[in-house]
Amino acid sequence: MKTLLEINNLHTSFFTHLGEVQAVRGIDFVLEEGDILGIVGESGSGKSVTSLSIMGLVDDPGRITEGSIVFEGVDLTKLTNEQLAEYRGNDISMIFQDPMTSINPVYSIGNQLMEVILRHTKMTKEEAKERAIELLKMVGIPEPEVRLKNYPHQFSGGMRQRAMIAMAISCNPKLLIADEPTTALDVTIQAQILELMRSLKDKINTTIILITHDLGVIAEVCNKVIVMYGGMIMERSNIESLYDNPQHPYTRGLLQSVPKNVTGKKNRLIPIEGSPPDLLSPPPGCPFSPRCPHAMEICLKEAAPLFKISDTQFASCWLHHVDAPEVEGYVKVAGDENE
Amino acid sequence: MKNYYVQRVLYALFTLYIVITVTFFMMHAIPGGPFTRERHLPPEIEAILNEKYHLDDPLFKQYIDYLGGVVTFDLGPSFKELGLTVNDLIREGFPSSMNVGLVSVIMIIAIGVPLGIISALKQNKFIDHAAMFLATLGVTIPSFVIATLFITLIAANFTFIPISWVNDPQNVGDAIFRYIGPVIALSGYSLSFVSRLTRSSMLEVLRQDYIRTARANGLSERRVIFKHALKNALIPVVTYVGPMAAAILTGSFVVERIFVIPGIGRYFVESVSNRDYTVIIGMTIFYAALYIVMVLLVDVAYAFIDPRIRLGKKMGD
Amino acid sequence: MSHTHLSTHELDSERRWVISVNKNDFNYVESSKKLNKEQIRPSLTYWKDAWRRLKKNKMAMAGMIGVLLIVAIAIFGPMFSKYNYSDQITDFSNTPPRMEIYQIEEGTYVFLSAQYRLFIVTDSGEIIERLDQTDTDIVNRIYTYDNHGEPVYLDYSYRLIPDSEIDFKLTYKGVSTTEQYDKVWNTTFLLGSDNLGRDVLTRVMYGARISLTVALVATIVNLFIGVTYGAFSGLEGGKIDNIMMRIVDIINSIPLLLYVILLMVIIDDRGLWTIIITLGSIYWVGMARLVRGQVLGLKEQEYVLAARTIGVRRAKIISRHLIPNAMGPILVSMTMMIPTAVFTESFLSFIGLGISAPQASWGTLANDALSALSVYPYQLMIPSLAIALTMLSFNFLGDGLRSALDPRLRKG
Ligand SMILES: Nc1ncnc2c1ncn2[C@@H]1O[C@H](COP(=O)(O)OP(=O)(O)O)[C@@H](O)[C@H]1O
Ligand SMILES: [Mg+2]
Repeated sequence: MKTLLEINNLHTSFFTHLGEVQAVRGIDFVLEEGDILGIVGESGSGKSVTSLSIMGLVDDPGRITEGSIVFEGVDLTKLTNEQLAEYRGNDISMIFQDPMTSINPVYSIGNQLMEVILRHTKMTKEEAKERAIELLKMVGIPEPEVRLKNYPHQFSGGMRQRAMIAMAISCNPKLLIADEPTTALDVTIQAQILELMRSLKDKINTTIILITHDLGVIAEVCNKVIVMYGGMIMERSNIESLYDNPQHPYTRGLLQSVPKNVTGKKNRLIPIEGSPPDLLSPPPGCPFSPRCPHAMEICLKEAAPLFKISDTQFASCWLHHVDAPEVEGYVKVAGDENE
Repeated sequence: MKNYYVQRVLYALFTLYIVITVTFFMMHAIPGGPFTRERHLPPEIEAILNEKYHLDDPLFKQYIDYLGGVVTFDLGPSFKELGLTVNDLIREGFPSSMNVGLVSVIMIIAIGVPLGIISALKQNKFIDHAAMFLATLGVTIPSFVIATLFITLIAANFTFIPISWVNDPQNVGDAIFRYIGPVIALSGYSLSFVSRLTRSSMLEVLRQDYIRTARANGLSERRVIFKHALKNALIPVVTYVGPMAAAILTGSFVVERIFVIPGIGRYFVESVSNRDYTVIIGMTIFYAALYIVMVLLVDVAYAFIDPRIRLGKKMGD
Repeated sequence: MSHTHLSTHELDSERRWVISVNKNDFNYVESSKKLNKEQIRPSLTYWKDAWRRLKKNKMAMAGMIGVLLIVAIAIFGPMFSKYNYSDQITDFSNTPPRMEIYQIEEGTYVFLSAQYRLFIVTDSGEIIERLDQTDTDIVNRIYTYDNHGEPVYLDYSYRLIPDSEIDFKLTYKGVSTTEQYDKVWNTTFLLGSDNLGRDVLTRVMYGARISLTVALVATIVNLFIGVTYGAFSGLEGGKIDNIMMRIVDIINSIPLLLYVILLMVIIDDRGLWTIIITLGSIYWVGMARLVRGQVLGLKEQEYVLAARTIGVRRAKIISRHLIPNAMGPILVSMTMMIPTAVFTESFLSFIGLGISAPQASWGTLANDALSALSVYPYQLMIPSLAIALTMLSFNFLGDGLRSALDPRLRKG
């Protein structure tokens, strides 16, 4: 399979008047064409900042301080804003969390949808309108010819999210980032939107990054998972290994907070005891150590490297170190052979 | 959609009615009524007043009569100046006031809004600090200070600028330059306020999620700002500009006094110091009516900008 | 000590690790130690945090110093003045703060005012006496003054010669002077005197008392009405809230300044209290809106709900729960209201509806000076500057407070 996106050692910080908020602290992952990658983690763990970094949309006091984001061989961090704009909405597009506030209230849905199409294609206005109607139909909006003239406030939350998806897929993006696309919606609508995204993935053949609070959603939709915490990757894995054999205490905590029977769709995370770290002056060690049931001296001093558990599973936890105490369920990984 | 406009018009009419009523009864709340405090009325005026206001009628009947007058755009005679009516004063004073006011309003919008946008886009850069410093000075220095500064510092050194209004200018220079002082004094505050308002509104809008969406769709920065942000950012500006225009078009009491402009602001101040009660009531109602009409226009403009107002609430799924 | 070198188990990240690890590091830590880690940064309270950020804001601090200074001058300034606000020295009327003096004799200096009054002054700027004019020769443009029996002749015909280098000529005891000796500060009246010979500085300091008292009390009255109205409307909710807000809407679509004027005309008494009550009863609408908004937001919060279910009286809920929480925005709004009140009061005085003489606010002072503006601009500039500085200080402070208390800016 072909590599679509490769992120190396990404650091993104916000330079506020209180100091540097290190929202993302060294993230690496590789995305292959056709992947559906889930990113999961508590609120404030840096998921949105990661996706905004890929889009080149980190807001002003913030900027990428280190690392690269290579999309189809091009390092996006080296591009100017104008060059990036060619990618946005075209090759890479994004769906945001809150459909109520994410569409401009003073222009009609059709106006905003056609605007994106006209921006990235050579279509005429009429063709763009045809395409817009087709897209609205595709995302399941009835009477698209009429709805095209409607304004956002005339749409319900679910409909707006469909409209946003229509905008995002209007130019057949190679990468679609969805940042908690269902969090703000009713439970029944959530399922519909997820189903829509899955069906669209096959129709337009795109790669997806799906950010969510909800491990249940990830299990249903994704083939790869990243668990984030405190701006770092805690565990990275394919879907089966993560659920069958979680290798990070944080992942275990998350899984335990998901109800086992999947009858109710609302698998919101119940936060683990304690609160997320302050990213303004993060302690030097593993961000999870203050809340970790197995915290060791070293965890407070140094963050662990990503230990390779298998070809498809990596976990950033010192418990995998040969010298660490035995804890049931955690695999030991051999140390450096050079020793 | 029609509903909205009808509702707004009715609302404006109702407010105007309240204004007339309150003003009328406030004036009659003066012990002994507005017309008896002054002992030395010329008998001719006394006669006209009696004829016009039927001062011996019960209060309620007087009120109905006055309302009737207002409905037919008749604001009654002056209480102090024989033979003059309030309508005469307005007819005489309004054109000058409106000329100066119109130029000022145009200046305020044409300079204030772009200045605010530039400041917002260059937030915390030099130009932003400079513009906002001036704007802060502008909203803190009263118009009579601006006017006197202008007269003592600028007009004194550039003698081609008249320091007081030239009524029938003989040459083109006077016709144009006589506007400089009044317009600067009249627009100083509002221009500063509009640019500050535009700036903060623009900054607020630029933080909104839909602006991020527009950027995420790859739109150029120009389009993001001038199409997506500007229209939203102008909503509060429009709200301010409407009533402001009403206040400025009717002339300013202060500026007209300093520059000796024969506008209705000056007549109003004169009527206040002369205790010309009928003129005070009439002018107040005229001012209020104009103000209410401007507020109504703002509501209409609102509906143009914001479809949520134009089209009402959700149509359902 | 045995060291273990770990190389990365990760594909591409050289940066991550070649570090030394101590075996003892793999001991578990006690929970107390972990908790400390979380509390590295003390969490500041709302007001402390706001204060800390206000202090960082230079403009706001300048504004605050300005406000304190103006208040201090208003309170203490008149105590150090040798004049009272109504003391008149008619002989010394309309002297400017800065005087051009001429030496007519060794040790004798005079100053000629814009009204052609001649004063004997010292070279340090003290005004000794005014010389009587004994003769006016309009044809030759010569005025004669009497200095204790000796005539002083003033020839001002030069003023009519275009581009004349000489302004006027003074002749005393046969010696003529056309050259200005010096330009000195008026030490008798530091900021000059007005048309009745009153000390402008003293009048401005007293004016500060009046203007600030009016503004402060009017603001408090507004605050009281606005908070009560807004809180009641918000707490009551439903139909009553609806009607009350309709009333606010109507008031909002009326030019309020006109009603201030009407009220002043009706009451027809130029006392301090009339102005305070008039201003105080008119501008509460913004405050009412603000408080209602805050109340609606807070109403749903648990502690208020709890208080309601227990049946705590409404006034108590307002004072105990809602006000402290809405204090930030209320404070900002008050800071902004004070300069508005100063402004409105000066405006009223300026159109002749202000405080009656001999008391004077800044607006009255400006108004009084207007008639002779082109001759004595300083008489207008001084109260105007006072107004502008006050507005500026309060506005800077208010802007600073607003951003210091803005909840959106608080985090991060
Ligand atoms: N504009 C900003 N200014 C300062 N800090 C920010 C900003 N945006 C995000 N952050 C910080 O970055 C961290 C990660 O945020 P985010 O990526 O939004 O988390 P989430 O995983 O919930 O999407 C948070 O601690 C947040 O406080
Ligand atoms: Mg997020």
